[in-house]
Amino acid sequence: MLKIKDITKSYGNGESRFRVLQGISLEIKDGDFVVILGVSGSGKSTFLNVISGLERPDSGEVFYDGTDITLLSDNELTAFRKENVGFIFQQYYLLPNMDVDRNVKMGADLAGNKDYMEIIKAVGLGEKLHKYPSELSGGEQQRVSVARALAKKPRVLFLDEPTGALDEMTGREVLDYICRLKNQYGFTIVMVTHNLNIAEMAKTVIKMNSGKLINIYQNETQKTAYEIGW
Amino acid sequence: MWKEYSKSYIQNNRLSGLSVRIAAFISALLLSLLCGVFYNLWKYEVERIVLEEGGWQSRIAGSFSPEEIEAVRNFASVKDMVVRDGTGEGAASYGKQSYVEQGDGQESETVIDLYFDRYGAVLKDTPRIAELAGASPEQTAYHYGLLAMYLIRHPSDPAPRLLFPLFLLITGIASFSLIVIIHNSFVLSMNARIHQFGIFSSIGATPRQIRTCLLQEAAVLCAFPVVAGNLSGIAGSMGILELTNRILGGEVPGRHKAVFGYHPLVLGVTLFVTVLTIWISAWLPAGKLSRLTPLEAIKNTGELQLKRRKNSRILGLFFGMEGELAGNALKAQRKALRTASLSLVFSFMAFTMMECFVTTSDISTRETYFERYQDVWDIMVTVRDGDGAAFEEINEIRALPGVESVVAYQKAMAKRVIREEEISEEMKSFGGFSHASESVVTKVDGGWMVNAPLVILDDSSFLDYCEQIGIPPCLDGAVVRNLIRDVTDPDFRHVQNVPYLNTGSTGEGTVSILMRPGSEEMAEVPVLCYTAEVPLLREEYATLDYYQLVHFLPVSLWEKIRGQIGEGEGELYLRILGGENVTLEQLNGLQERIDSLLAGKYVTESENRIQEYELNGRQIQGMKLIFGGFCVLLALIGIGNVFSNTLGFVRQRKREFARYMSLGLTPENMGKMFRIEAMVLAGRPVLVTLPLAVVVMGLMLKMSYIAVGEFLAQAPFVPIAVFMAAILGFVALAYYLGWRNVRKISLAEVLRDDTML
Repeated sequence: MLKIKDITKSYGNGESRFRVLQGISLEIKDGDFVVILGVSGSGKSTFLNVISGLERPDSGEVFYDGTDITLLSDNELTAFRKENVGFIFQQYYLLPNMDVDRNVKMGADLAGNKDYMEIIKAVGLGEKLHKYPSELSGGEQQRVSVARALAKKPRVLFLDEPTGALDEMTGREVLDYICRLKNQYGFTIVMVTHNLNIAEMAKTVIKMNSGKLINIYQNETQKTAYEIGW
Repeated sequence: MWKEYSKSYIQNNRLSGLSVRIAAFISALLLSLLCGVFYNLWKYEVERIVLEEGGWQSRIAGSFSPEEIEAVRNFASVKDMVVRDGTGEGAASYGKQSYVEQGDGQESETVIDLYFDRYGAVLKDTPRIAELAGASPEQTAYHYGLLAMYLIRHPSDPAPRLLFPLFLLITGIASFSLIVIIHNSFVLSMNARIHQFGIFSSIGATPRQIRTCLLQEAAVLCAFPVVAGNLSGIAGSMGILELTNRILGGEVPGRHKAVFGYHPLVLGVTLFVTVLTIWISAWLPAGKLSRLTPLEAIKNTGELQLKRRKNSRILGLFFGMEGELAGNALKAQRKALRTASLSLVFSFMAFTMMECFVTTSDISTRETYFERYQDVWDIMVTVRDGDGAAFEEINEIRALPGVESVVAYQKAMAKRVIREEEISEEMKSFGGFSHASESVVTKVDGGWMVNAPLVILDDSSFLDYCEQIGIPPCLDGAVVRNLIRDVTDPDFRHVQNVPYLNTGSTGEGTVSILMRPGSEEMAEVPVLCYTAEVPLLREEYATLDYYQLVHFLPVSLWEKIRGQIGEGEGELYLRILGGENVTLEQLNGLQERIDSLLAGKYVTESENRIQEYELNGRQIQGMKLIFGGFCVLLALIGIGNVFSNTLGFVRQRKREFARYMSLGLTPENMGKMFRIEAMVLAGRPVLVTLPLAVVVMGLMLKMSYIAVGEFLAQAPFVPIAVFMAAILGFVALAYYLGWRNVRKISLAEVLRDDTML
């Protein structure tokens, strides 16, 4: 259970101070598939960063099973991230001097997980183990970053516009892999996107604007990546 | 992380670590050189002390029976001992396995020199040994100088033993300076990958893991350079020692040849200091980098960007748009190029200042010493405890082939009162004694008491001097140097001398009343002449005490008055002229003959003018070589940093150029931009140094009263221009190689790179 209480976050100083998050409270259940929708500048990425422990809020609390991660020290927060959460960004952030195997292994090693090959195969890259990022397509690179994030076996996977740099077919393919892996491993997904169609894949949809939650609703049925529009 | 990431990063990005490697190598080299030279300096000093003063560590003096001596010999920590009588004769060595009978068994003043197993036992055991031998603490003595070389300091040692503190200070300063310089190389290398460490952090790497990874990388990058630098430093210190031997070998009186040595402990200390220096340099940026949050790090693309846009108007004015872009690029790279800028500026500045300073010093020494005394002396011999009156060998020296003239002289000090009416009008014009310090001139009843140095010439030379100044040769009086400098004019190089005393024509027939310093005793000396002309001696008069009234007198007269005036200095000086156009070989031969003539009877030290001139030249060359070497090493750090920048940031520069190209700039424009950057980087040391050098040299010339024209005629333009050209050449080469990599630009490739980030 992820419980968020009255989170605020501002950037800048003095007159140029801008309040990005204006007191957001929310609960996310284990195994949920949450999509956060919002236009550019609505604060959705900042919200993702705060609830994932990448950034600290100015005020408010973020509980993971009763532990308020806003009170953790830097080292404790690092340990928390290592053990509990995985990230996927719009840019793939792969290490260019490492092949697929070693990019994924790096994430697995840091979390002490030796059984990472299964994940590579699950994202369909079993045949491209020794290819370098520059030899892969955009979709394949994003699948490597998915595998790397999941190789740690996180409880929550945070995705920030994971299909933002991909074309439709590749985007669908990546989302399909993510959903299949979610069903297989049972982790929670929190995904930020501005693509309204992707919201149809989620169980819970959160709409944000100007740093506030303006709507939260549950989809009665969840579509697959190939059933949604684009 | 090391195995998965760093290893392949280092293997695939050799050039980006170049700056770090060069910096580590040069640090190791400098520190190793410093430690190696210091160790050999220490070793040489120990050898010198042992040779000159003996290697005993402590000694006890008194009357000792054979039983007491035996007890001392059997003391546990005593390795060896030498028993001597009070005169220093009849020394006998008493090792652990030997025993030598005392001559007649009678008790006499005996000195026992003690040698211990360990230096650490000296202070603790010497009092116990003295007690055992029945000697009081006052009868013990410690070899302070030798003990201090082993960091053992007796509380009553009065001398400031500065060798080790000086070494620690120099090493500390060197280490700190290197940290400042190398630190920037590490910052540069590490900052280029902040983004990648952000990725690590986002997938769970802890700050500690990142820091460890960076330090491991630093260790691997620096391992070979540290070893190579240390070995080069050892070789360098060997070279410096050899150079010192060649420059000074056998030509400095009393100097023994330095033999190179290297102790494993020195290697240990050197490695420790080097590793510590490099580790601190790497740890500072690694620690800072590891503390970045994943978001901060991941958003950093390593791109070179200006925080605030400032146009480079000057470059724009001179070189147009390319100049402006080059200026912006240099500003954006300011941090990355900081090591290069600092090293190149400091090295060029140090080199220029050294050359200018040496030139000034050379002009000064030549004018005030070699040229002034060129026709005054060829060989100088100092005879310890010599007595001019009893020195009979002077005639044998005069008879030696190749000797043109010999003057034997001694010096003594007396006092003389100068009355108001004796002061010359010229001296009165600048205030008489009003400017004189009380330490040199004392106001007494009826006048001023001044110092009256006595230069006591052998009779024959004094008679020659009388002829030289045009008075009848006579041994019954003194000739007084009647000159005083205008004390209000500080120009020591072009001294304005005026008559000291108002003596009428020559002052002949007057007397000079000389007094023994600190006593009422006095002697009346007839004055033969007051004159401005001095005998041809290698002496300077009234340089520190401007009010000295120098008296020249024959040794026969000195014999008559020395009872009242007191003893002269212990040394007797022989000034020998060897004739016109004499060569070094001739002077060396003559010097050797004089030395052998005096050997056995006197303790002497001799030097000859040409040899000293050449030695002086070689010392200056040696100093320039060593200091210049340091300047070159410093410049190498900067040049390494430039290469590292131009070859290591190809991707960033390609991205930068891609943007410009999309706006319509051509590769030729980019080439010009690179050339301007190189020129600015290499030109900065000149622009910073030259105005500073002009100001500093202006002050120096003013202080040393050397004319600007005289300096310019000998100014070191060529070496400075060569150094400058070398910097320019290497920087240009670095930028040319960088340009070759960057110019093959493909917009598609650059865009693809962007998505990789």
